[in-house]
Amino acid sequence: MSVCRPARCLFAKATCTTLPKAAPQRSFQTSASRQGRKRRPHYPSIKADDLKLLNEAAEVEYPKYDTTETSLLSKKYTPSQIAAIKAAESAIDTRDVLTQGQQRTDPWLLPYEDDMAEVDPVTDNRPRLTPDDIPGKKTFRLANDVERDEAISRIANENLAKMYPDGIPEGALDAATEQRLQDSFEAALTQATLDPRATYTSRNPAALEALADPRHSAVMPDLPRLENRMARQTRRLSTEEEEDPRQKRLLQYLGWDKQKLRSIRVKTLVSHSVTNQTRMGKIRSLYYLTIAGNQDGLLGVGEGKSVEPEEGRKQSIMSAIRNMRPVPRHENRTTFGDLERKVGATKVQLFARPPGFGLRTQHLIFELARAAGLQDLAAKTPRSRNKMNVIKATWEALTSQKLPDEIARARGKKLVDVRKVYYGGSVH
Amino acid sequence: MSLVNLAHVCSHMQNASKARLGLTSIPVSKMHVNIALGLQREGFLSSVTLGGPTPPQPFLLQKQPDPEEMDEMAETLQKEPWHAYPVEAEKQGKSVNWTERVLGKEQVHDVSVPENPARRRLWLGLKYWQNEPVLRNMKLISKPTRRIWLTSEDLGKITRTRESSYVKGLTHPGECMFITTDRGILEARECVERRLGGMALFRVWS
Repeated sequence: MSVCRPARCLFAKATCTTLPKAAPQRSFQTSASRQGRKRRPHYPSIKADDLKLLNEAAEVEYPKYDTTETSLLSKKYTPSQIAAIKAAESAIDTRDVLTQGQQRTDPWLLPYEDDMAEVDPVTDNRPRLTPDDIPGKKTFRLANDVERDEAISRIANENLAKMYPDGIPEGALDAATEQRLQDSFEAALTQATLDPRATYTSRNPAALEALADPRHSAVMPDLPRLENRMARQTRRLSTEEEEDPRQKRLLQYLGWDKQKLRSIRVKTLVSHSVTNQTRMGKIRSLYYLTIAGNQDGLLGVGEGKSVEPEEGRKQSIMSAIRNMRPVPRHENRTTFGDLERKVGATKVQLFARPPGFGLRTQHLIFELARAAGLQDLAAKTPRSRNKMNVIKATWEALTSQKLPDEIARARGKKLVDVRKVYYGGSVH
Repeated sequence: MSLVNLAHVCSHMQNASKARLGLTSIPVSKMHVNIALGLQREGFLSSVTLGGPTPPQPFLLQKQPDPEEMDEMAETLQKEPWHAYPVEAEKQGKSVNWTERVLGKEQVHDVSVPENPARRRLWLGLKYWQNEPVLRNMKLISKPTRRIWLTSEDLGKITRTRESSYVKGLTHPGECMFITTDRGILEARECVERRLGGMALFRVWS
């Protein structure tokens, strides 16, 4: 028995031993373990044949300088410059340029490939000169009249020569050319008059020239204008902004242009969310109340409601502008007498006040009065102060005023404004 | 002088103008007549007629002079305008109305007024301009329990839109106030002109 036992031990598997199993490794992340992931090289392995092909393509794309070119270079550059060019060429691997470099083809690409013959205001720093660059004395003085006229005529001639490099057209001209010629004469003269060389004079012509030289100017030059087909097409003028179809319809309705619409003061005074309870659930939307006025006797109130906030706001603005009605103003500053209007449980009382009184009212009525162009007003809201009803009541009161002329006409009376006689009509 | 009746008149005028009536009636009293005439003078009323329980014949149904007659009269007046002022002349012991003879007889419409004063009514024609009543608001100032007397200085302030003696100024455009004085019932501005004070009756505006 005792003999068998070791034999069984011998054939038994190691796993059957009483040794504890290794605890399963806890994974601390959800991604697959390193072994589980397929190992990829950091760089794509390139076969030798492909590499050879690439080298050949790079050779073709970026050829080395041949002897004729080096001889041409040697004519233009010094040996040290040629050495620098060669070092720079060798520092860049043409194969890398081919595989990783990108040639920009988009319309906005900057003209980097340049022969450096001209100063490009987009890519280059502007050339600057210091006073040391002016040879001779740097003094100048105010020109007298004779010198001034002389300088103006000289500069105007220079400017004209720049505008017409082929000479001024002569003989019988058609109207358009004649007009253009006149305009350019005028422009040249104006430029010459504004030129500092016309105002000052100097013994040293170099110092005088430096006055008008932009390289000596401390003022930054204007931003360069991109003259590019794409730039021309995508350039937006302020007059051709994005057309809102609703705004377009509004303009047609009012018979206005955009400039006039822009002068309207618009303000949203009330905004809150409202809900519509349906059997499917609640539908929340946003309510807006906006006022619009031109600050010169036109005032409108508009409401808008939509699920989309911006949509509701737009609605209210458009309807406010569309609802604008004239507000009669006494002396362009206050109302004609006291007004009272009731909307719902809200009552608004407006009182005319003397000049310089100001708008001593609550904020909603203040905004309305400011948009309408009223300057002297007092108000009371003795009953409910519901914001929407206060605005509506004020608007109705202001727009439905009774004018003294109308009242006199209704009563068959004659009404004369004596101030127009006493103060020579110099009243509103 | 009862202000209760005047209060009723005020309310009635407001109601009538709200209902857009063309003609309405109020009880007759000396004060009411004077007030109605004052309102007519200020242009709030188109007509004031004393009548019975039935309204008087409207102006459009009354007999009108011919247009030709009117033209003739206008021509004569243009040539001899002094005929507009009637002068009684004595001729052979008889009084002769020259105006009537030149311009033609004036048409007078007799309205039947009941003998019984209790059955008499004062018929007032209301005015409207552009679909709006000319007289919209009419309010008592003195109340039956609290009369307010105003001096001409007070009235000066009130007509200049300032408050005085607990009476608010005339701040509405075209607002009028009627005062009963010892010279009759007058408008507040007329009182100021004539330096008269009195008891404030009511204010009226459109």
